[in-house]
Amino acid sequence: MSTTLLIDSLIRSLQAGSLYALMAVGLTLTLTVIKLPNFAHAELITVGAYTALLVSLGISAKPLIVLGLAFGVAAIVALLCHRVVYRPLAQQKPSTYTMILASFATGLIIRYILFLLAERFALFDLRIGVPQAIWLQNDWVTLTNIFFWVVPTSIALVIVLSLILNYTALGRDMRALADNLTLARIIGIPVDRVHDLTWLLVGGLAGVAGALWGIYTFVEPLVGWLAILSVFAATVLGGMTSFSGTILGAYLVGFSENVIMQVLNHYTGLDFSFKPAIPFIIIIFVLLIRPQGLKNN
Amino acid sequence: MNIDLFATTIALLTFFGISAIMALSLNLEYGVAGIPNFGQALFVSIGAYTAGWTYTRLLPLLAGEAVIDPCGSTLGQALQLRSTIMKTMPTVGLTNFVITLLIAALIGGLVGYLASYPALRLKQEWYLGLVLLVGSEIVRIVVRGYEPIICGNNGLSAIAQPFHWLRDSTLSSLLFAGLVLTVAGLVYLYCERLVRSPYGRLLKAVRENDAVATSLGKDVARIRGQIMFIGSALAGVAGVFFVVNSGYASANDYVVALTLDVWVMIVLGGLGNNRGALLGALLITILDRLTAITAIRMNMLGFQWEFNYVRYILFGVILLLMLRYRPQGLLPEPTQTTRAHEMLGAEGVAK
Repeated sequence: MSTTLLIDSLIRSLQAGSLYALMAVGLTLTLTVIKLPNFAHAELITVGAYTALLVSLGISAKPLIVLGLAFGVAAIVALLCHRVVYRPLAQQKPSTYTMILASFATGLIIRYILFLLAERFALFDLRIGVPQAIWLQNDWVTLTNIFFWVVPTSIALVIVLSLILNYTALGRDMRALADNLTLARIIGIPVDRVHDLTWLLVGGLAGVAGALWGIYTFVEPLVGWLAILSVFAATVLGGMTSFSGTILGAYLVGFSENVIMQVLNHYTGLDFSFKPAIPFIIIIFVLLIRPQGLKNN
Repeated sequence: MNIDLFATTIALLTFFGISAIMALSLNLEYGVAGIPNFGQALFVSIGAYTAGWTYTRLLPLLAGEAVIDPCGSTLGQALQLRSTIMKTMPTVGLTNFVITLLIAALIGGLVGYLASYPALRLKQEWYLGLVLLVGSEIVRIVVRGYEPIICGNNGLSAIAQPFHWLRDSTLSSLLFAGLVLTVAGLVYLYCERLVRSPYGRLLKAVRENDAVATSLGKDVARIRGQIMFIGSALAGVAGVFFVVNSGYASANDYVVALTLDVWVMIVLGGLGNNRGALLGALLITILDRLTAITAIRMNMLGFQWEFNYVRYILFGVILLLMLRYRPQGLLPEPTQTTRAHEMLGAEGVAK
């Protein structure tokens, strides 16, 4: 196998892994703080991607404005989902399955509203208008400015999130809620406010991830849905609770989807159409054999 | 545009029968036994893949012809062969169909039984839902990429329904609708008997509290395995009807959206109530047809919005409204009393 191909797939792993990490930390946050396996997380990503696309087409293609507005709009959509759907439903003390179904339904509604709009205004398979430039090129590797946008931005945001979680009052409250909701209520943590802020943060991060994904590949109404099970795979590798585990899991998923797929294709002739099955196999194996994920306990 | 009302009604009834079997199967698994099967599309697809296999390998053998590779350069020949057999040899076609149903039920049941195995080992209950969802996607991706089953991404066409040999196409679709509805009726009667039996009460006990059921000496894992076998066998049967009704087997039909449709049916109709599953299947089938017809009309009128997407939004809204305002469904699960309970109750009144 040629070195160029290997390096190329390593770079793609790094890009995909960083984006998965950004998507998956939000999902882990929802799982731990809100206690909801939110399948509509996919659509928060898509909303971010479309916001970024529209902003880059209509307002400005400056990356900071594009990402900032993607954060804002997706955060508001996440808060709306919480206020309109999840919170009223959670007050009825439903089973987890009811909440999962509700998240499927919410995702379905948002996804097909986006389909309706995309069809009407011809917004399929478009690229976010950030001008491309080659930043580094030699015999083995070609790096564009896209790479320098996607990877450091994702890593920086993940670091910011972990700082928030570990060193702010909000982060402390969130961790308290994750540990024991009743106890958190008793000691006077404003649970509703923390939930609202968590949703804003989760939605915003998913939105930025969607925008970066749109810069990296294309925007279509299925962007989030196609990525969501890879994102779940990363979360499952993190044991559904650990942030460092989730981030490591995200890079592992990115690595296996690109490098391992490339190697398998080269040596066994496995077709690339099997690529989406890789994260799914990871999910099943981890849940069956090592449900605590990458953590030792 | 003129809509042929008679043909539309037959098509609607056929779809209703097929959906009803899928809904009864999921109701048995989730509504009665509490197993979150988010992979219903997988078990339905097993029926379709089985039909793809029997129509291309078994059917020629039954007709005394050589088996031709259905995918490669002989694609056209193989297609011609199976349509000719289905058109000219009624007994061979029917025998093949019955065998297909039996194999689909058996394989579906076995896969369902195997799929229940993780339930014992998973840390949290909803992980089983995730495993089944992901499992159904894996199978779909593998079938799509692996040629020998149903020719990979191309799929297989000319999977004709068993009354294809009748010259009169109205009569053949009428007979097929009758067959589907009869089978759906039998499945309904079977599910009713099962739910009303002592075994049915045991299933509900497992659903409500498996720890209590275990403490009373019931083997919860075995019971879940059994019910997944039965439910998935029924889903496999539904899959055979589904694929011969459309005449085309393609892995791309068995996506998560199909699973969700069946979930909407049972949540709308009423969890744990077989009649609810039937009602849900009927309402969702009607809505599905109505939106499809409206979409065609809208397109012809030059409407700018693609109405087909509205179907999904509508189903999502129905699901949310039901979960929020009527979680027990349109037809709630009936309270069940045993004869002994009734006698005691009557005595109580007498005293």
